[in-house]
Amino acid sequence: MASEQDDRVSRSRYEREKAARKEAEALLEGKSRELFLANQSLSQQSEILERTVTERTSELRIALDKAEAASAMRARFIATMSHEIRTPLGGLLGMIDLMYGDETDPARRELLEYAKTSGDALKRIVNDVLDFSKMEAGAFQFENEKVDIRALIGGVLALAAASMPDGESRLRSSISPTVPPIFAGDATRIRQVLSNLVSNAARYSADGQIELRAFASEHEKGALLRVEIEDQGIGISAEQQKNLFKDFTQVPNKLTSAAQGTGLGLAISRRIIEGADGRIGVFSEPGVGSTFWFELPVEVLEACPPSKGEGKARLRDVKARVEGARILLAEDNKINQKLLLTFLKRMNVSAELAENGREAVEKFAPGKYDLVLMDVAMPEMDGLEATRIIRDSWPAEKIPPIVVLTAHVLDAIHEDSARVGIDRVLSKPITFGDLRDAISEELGAHGNPDHHTPRQFGARPAIFAHLSNPILEGLIESMSENEVIALVEEFVIDARRLLAAITANLRRGESEAAAAEAHALKGMSGLIGALGVSELAGQLEQSAAYLDADSIEEVIDALSGQVDTLDRALSASIE
Amino acid sequence: MKGVVFVELLAMAEDAFGEDVVDAVIDKADLAHGGAYTAVGNYPCAELVKIVDAFSDHSGLSPDLLQRKFGHWMMGFFAQHYPAFFENKSSSFEMLEAVDQEIHVEVLKLYPDAELPRFETDRTGEGQLQMVYSSPRPLVSFCHGLIEACVERFDETAEIAIEATPAQNNSTTFRIDITGR
Ligand code: HEM
Repeated sequence: MASEQDDRVSRSRYEREKAARKEAEALLEGKSRELFLANQSLSQQSEILERTVTERTSELRIALDKAEAASAMRARFIATMSHEIRTPLGGLLGMIDLMYGDETDPARRELLEYAKTSGDALKRIVNDVLDFSKMEAGAFQFENEKVDIRALIGGVLALAAASMPDGESRLRSSISPTVPPIFAGDATRIRQVLSNLVSNAARYSADGQIELRAFASEHEKGALLRVEIEDQGIGISAEQQKNLFKDFTQVPNKLTSAAQGTGLGLAISRRIIEGADGRIGVFSEPGVGSTFWFELPVEVLEACPPSKGEGKARLRDVKARVEGARILLAEDNKINQKLLLTFLKRMNVSAELAENGREAVEKFAPGKYDLVLMDVAMPEMDGLEATRIIRDSWPAEKIPPIVVLTAHVLDAIHEDSARVGIDRVLSKPITFGDLRDAISEELGAHGNPDHHTPRQFGARPAIFAHLSNPILEGLIESMSENEVIALVEEFVIDARRLLAAITANLRRGESEAAAAEAHALKGMSGLIGALGVSELAGQLEQSAAYLDADSIEEVIDALSGQVDTLDRALSASIE
Repeated sequence: MKGVVFVELLAMAEDAFGEDVVDAVIDKADLAHGGAYTAVGNYPCAELVKIVDAFSDHSGLSPDLLQRKFGHWMMGFFAQHYPAFFENKSSSFEMLEAVDQEIHVEVLKLYPDAELPRFETDRTGEGQLQMVYSSPRPLVSFCHGLIEACVERFDETAEIAIEATPAQNNSTTFRIDITGR
């Protein structure tokens, strides 16, 4: 007890504290060294990590670029190939049509029918593959245009009905009044999905009703459109349903092996619908039937009118919608005038004729017409120019839909048309049904359903064997047989006159004028379904500038021969 | 065992017996480090036991009693230096229940080499807590002291019974019965 009073500590306590401090310092030193080393290895590791990440990322990017390039190249190749196949295929099918028309032997006609079925199937496949590869290549863009789904469904069903036996009685549709009359969307793509689903339903069911239903419900974007297509066909097992919307899958179909496609139809439909933020699916029971459905959020452009009970849309709505419409037709060619005016009269449309583009511009006034039909190639002022002037003279909302008619198959016309503000391009030859559907879709209004009685066919006049079947059917739908015969008579006279003019112009070396006349001949003959004439006139139009005299003579002889054949058949028909 | 425990044990001894006594006891005890400890160091637990025994010899108080007193001392130390652990607790039971899964977990994060006991707690009835303490180190009485001090800190009184846990070696069961708060 040495230090009760003094503040000094003992020697041993001092030594102890010193030892403790030394140890603490050593420990701290060791710790800070450890920390330093740990820090160093950490930053080294993070550096290595960063480097690895950068390396991996660039490796991945290179691999991705390569894969993308390869797939783009493959898609482009397929697209080019399909396109290259499509063109000769079109020629082939046209020729088969022609041969069918000329053929009188029933056995050979049957063979030609088979050839046509196969050709059509091939065309469908090529179209599917082309579409699909476009999507793969990313060249698939959605248009944003006004869609009238009622008119669209009407058109799809009318087409489907035409291509199946007793189609009219098997196809039914009901469209709820909740479905907005006009919404924004890609009409072409929606039509494609609809017709794919409808034709599937037809292909996979031999008989029974096929019913198309459409409803709409509320959606943040405006409305959610839902379309269902129900068939009573062979159905799809749960196992098969899983793969149904994948690329290149198919449900085995015992009904008809000729009906097989690429298995791309549903995959394409899925991509279209999902590309537009929608959903697509199916419920089905083997042996009972299938219901394919899709849902599409759409922006409503014209809301539903206050509903007056359940409205039923039928195929004939298309017809009803067109009735009473006021249409301005600008067309210079006499035959086309006659044909189109007859078509329009049959549709109960009040049509006014303008002989050329200038007259169309003069006649046009806002509120006077519900729609304008405009030929492209006209003297004084062509259809594109006339459209441009109308568009420039009046505010957009005062201008009704403008539909252009052309015999050009070139894409350039479509581009030009879009530029001057044309709503739709129809390629000649135009059938009655095509024209009516197009007008109906463009008018996009409601009509009162009325009654439609299918026409009965009697014994066919001889001349009909020389005209293309689908076009002839279109003609007969809108005029009597005698009127068709009269039309062909007029055509023969006009064609003779044009042929003479072409020959004269070619002799004088005026190949441009000759080409224009050949173009006119091609359009006229296409309209009445004289596809042989149309084909040859087309050749002449393209080659007038550089063919030598002998070859020209040959083509003109062939053309005259064709016209003579028609003339002879006409005399036989009139007797 | 963390050096802080040794430093605090000597601090308590100095407080109780005075510096000279502590110097003398340590000199006599023949300790590996000559009795020099730093809070940041680590030392064998056996040395702690040796120090407690040495003070027991000197004072005539039993080693168990000294350990218990040390438990009280350490609870004060914890409360002063780590108030965060106490703030969100409203009773001794809540605190005791938090040792194993919360407090010692945090301790281990800071000192990965810490040697900590395990606890299993169970509320066996109204105001009753059973706490099974498992540790290879002979610090049952230290733990007892910590628990007693914990009860006091929350202004409660309790009876604490201690018994060996039969089936488990190195385990002791504390039965804490709150008698007042
Ligand atoms: C009522 C509360 C607590 C009880 C019953 C308790 C119990 C124990 C016991 C019995 C030991 C000795 C080691 C062993 O027996 O194996 C110990 C060690 C320890 N406890 Fe707790 N403890 C409590 C609260 C705390 C608190 C609040 C802290 C604060 C940070 C803490 C930090 C430590 C430390 C640092 C050790 C030493 C570890 C080593 O020596 O390596 N304890 N505790």
